[in-house]
Amino acid sequence: MKIGMLMLRHPPTRISPIMPAVVGLLKNWGCEVDIIYPEEKITLLSQVRAEHDLYILKSGTELALSLAGALHAVGARILNPYPVAATMRDKIASMRVLEAAGVPVPETYITSHARQLADLLDAGPLVLKPYRGSQGRGIHVIWDADELDDVSAEEGPVFAQRYHKPEGEDRKIYVIGDQMFGVRRIFPARTYEEKIGQPFTIDEELRQIALRCSRAFGVELFGFDVIVSKGRSYVVDIQSFPGFKGVPDAALRLADYVYSVGQRALNGETIFGMSVPAQGKAVTL
Amino acid sequence: MKAVVIGAGRIGCGLAGQLLRSSGYDVTFITRNPDVVKNLNFNGGYQVLLTTATECRPVTVDGIKAIASSDAVAATNALTQADLIVTAVCSQNLPAIAPLIAKALSQREAPANVIAFENMPSVGDCLRRLVASAMAEPGQVDKHGFSGAVISRMVTRRVGDPAGQKPLMFVGEAVEEFVVDRSALCAPLQKIRGMKLVNDYQPWVLQKLYTFSAGHATAAYLGWLKGYHYIHTAIHDAEIRKAVFNAMAEGQRGLAAKFGREFARGRAGLEATVARFENANLNDPIVRVARDPHRKLAADERLVGAGRLAEAAGVFPQQLAMVAAAALCFSTSGNGKPCTACFEQSQTAATLNEICGLDAAHGFGRIVAKSWAQLAPSLLPGNLLLSLNQRLWARV
Repeated sequence: MKIGMLMLRHPPTRISPIMPAVVGLLKNWGCEVDIIYPEEKITLLSQVRAEHDLYILKSGTELALSLAGALHAVGARILNPYPVAATMRDKIASMRVLEAAGVPVPETYITSHARQLADLLDAGPLVLKPYRGSQGRGIHVIWDADELDDVSAEEGPVFAQRYHKPEGEDRKIYVIGDQMFGVRRIFPARTYEEKIGQPFTIDEELRQIALRCSRAFGVELFGFDVIVSKGRSYVVDIQSFPGFKGVPDAALRLADYVYSVGQRALNGETIFGMSVPAQGKAVTL
Repeated sequence: MKAVVIGAGRIGCGLAGQLLRSSGYDVTFITRNPDVVKNLNFNGGYQVLLTTATECRPVTVDGIKAIASSDAVAATNALTQADLIVTAVCSQNLPAIAPLIAKALSQREAPANVIAFENMPSVGDCLRRLVASAMAEPGQVDKHGFSGAVISRMVTRRVGDPAGQKPLMFVGEAVEEFVVDRSALCAPLQKIRGMKLVNDYQPWVLQKLYTFSAGHATAAYLGWLKGYHYIHTAIHDAEIRKAVFNAMAEGQRGLAAKFGREFARGRAGLEATVARFENANLNDPIVRVARDPHRKLAADERLVGAGRLAEAAGVFPQQLAMVAAAALCFSTSGNGKPCTACFEQSQTAATLNEICGLDAAHGFGRIVAKSWAQLAPSLLPGNLLLSLNQRLWARV
């Protein structure tokens, strides 16, 4: 089984043992794993073709996402399919998908100028987030209209959500295949220990939310963030390949899942309930 | 020398046929699948991929023939002329083939040996009784030999489409040894590669069942509870690995007390067995190993039998009880999803007695019942066990 992983090389100071362990296990099981760092080479676009049985889009960079799009266009099988990864990267699109699927999300607004949100503050504070942001970067809670002046108009669409004061720690839900894992952690988590958080058991409400997310996007590998406010749960973000930090035996579970999907792909079976495009055959976007 | 192998599946082709052919036998398969018959005859053979954790070696088995079991005349003729008859049909299918063997043996003058390559205690005696009961004169069976075979090789899958024209391939381990009961055979038997003839057969059966098979079942049932898909992935889970060791060690201590410490093989034997479970080239799905849990939970089988033997030796078989409870929780139901329907607190005693022959109020049965009661309430659809030691589940 040949697996191509689109990765971003992290600085040595950053602790991220899960993916190296996943790669080690897959190699141990006889898989040929090629790590692809899109940022570290020049890629001739006309030469991009599906040379692996399965690709994994782990990197969160724009170049990696676009390369995944190019691979998708030439029929590559991607564990976290490009259309889903692209939609999840865009909070505007992903929140609408979730809302349409009946997933509880905060009221969400988009505009081109933050100042236009001023009247909405009469009903309470807003959270402004970069619409393609991740890992809690660039998030601001806006209480007064004056603060809107500080939001740069050059950062693209303005994405705002009604602020619900969280009760307790944030909850991250990770889904690997038909398995769900809950991790409670403080926000924003800064150290590795804080990111690992504490596992918690998932109740029926969160399970139903996870199932709706899975059905809405047609995937079974993702993570999402939940806050609880006044007894209500809100999904505030969703990721196509999160870090899975805090999941017990995360590397082994991920490797087991990747291996089983790879076997299904090799056997020409469907993955994620979708038919697998024939290797090398272009698909319609 | 002519050998007929009834059953052209994983063990029939992937072990028996390959070893017989390499020992110089003319080999004919009898199988109920007409596509397999066509494929084997079209190609005149098949391949076996012999694997270890680090390498794969393809072996071609050629010069073989195949007959459909629906062709009763040809099948009976082949069996009548055979010097050796081998079955590899899964033990639950033995009653279906017994009349065919009975008919052929009734027509023979010379005695024949029948070796059942089935993973089941006392399978030789079982098959002898089935064949005798299918004969017009049951006494005719006495001149023939019937033995089981304790096989070591795992053959996990068949690759290829029987309806296609390409040769089929069977993927298994390289190990060749299999043990046959010399005292149950009736006539001299030409040497077969890998065959070890023993006079004290039953200990060998129990040695395999209560160590290797118990460990394999442990990896499968606990791996299933923890959500893994393959034996070679589950064995990397530290808790499961430890449980596999513990379950086999409990079985081993029972064997040592009954048959002697040397026979039980010691820790090195357990480590060698765990190393076999790490073989990713076998690509063995957990649901395959875990299937048919009720048969595997029978009183003399790998979990309950091993637990009872350990208990009789003064060992507290806690790990085997936990695995037996996990097996009780398992229901294949086509997709390996959990099924709690069979668990009712009030029915525990009756179910344990019916499936395992255990008394839920005493000894090993009591430990199994307690473990079962701890596991079953959390078996919600989609739930999985995060920690065996802490009994931590993903969902409430």
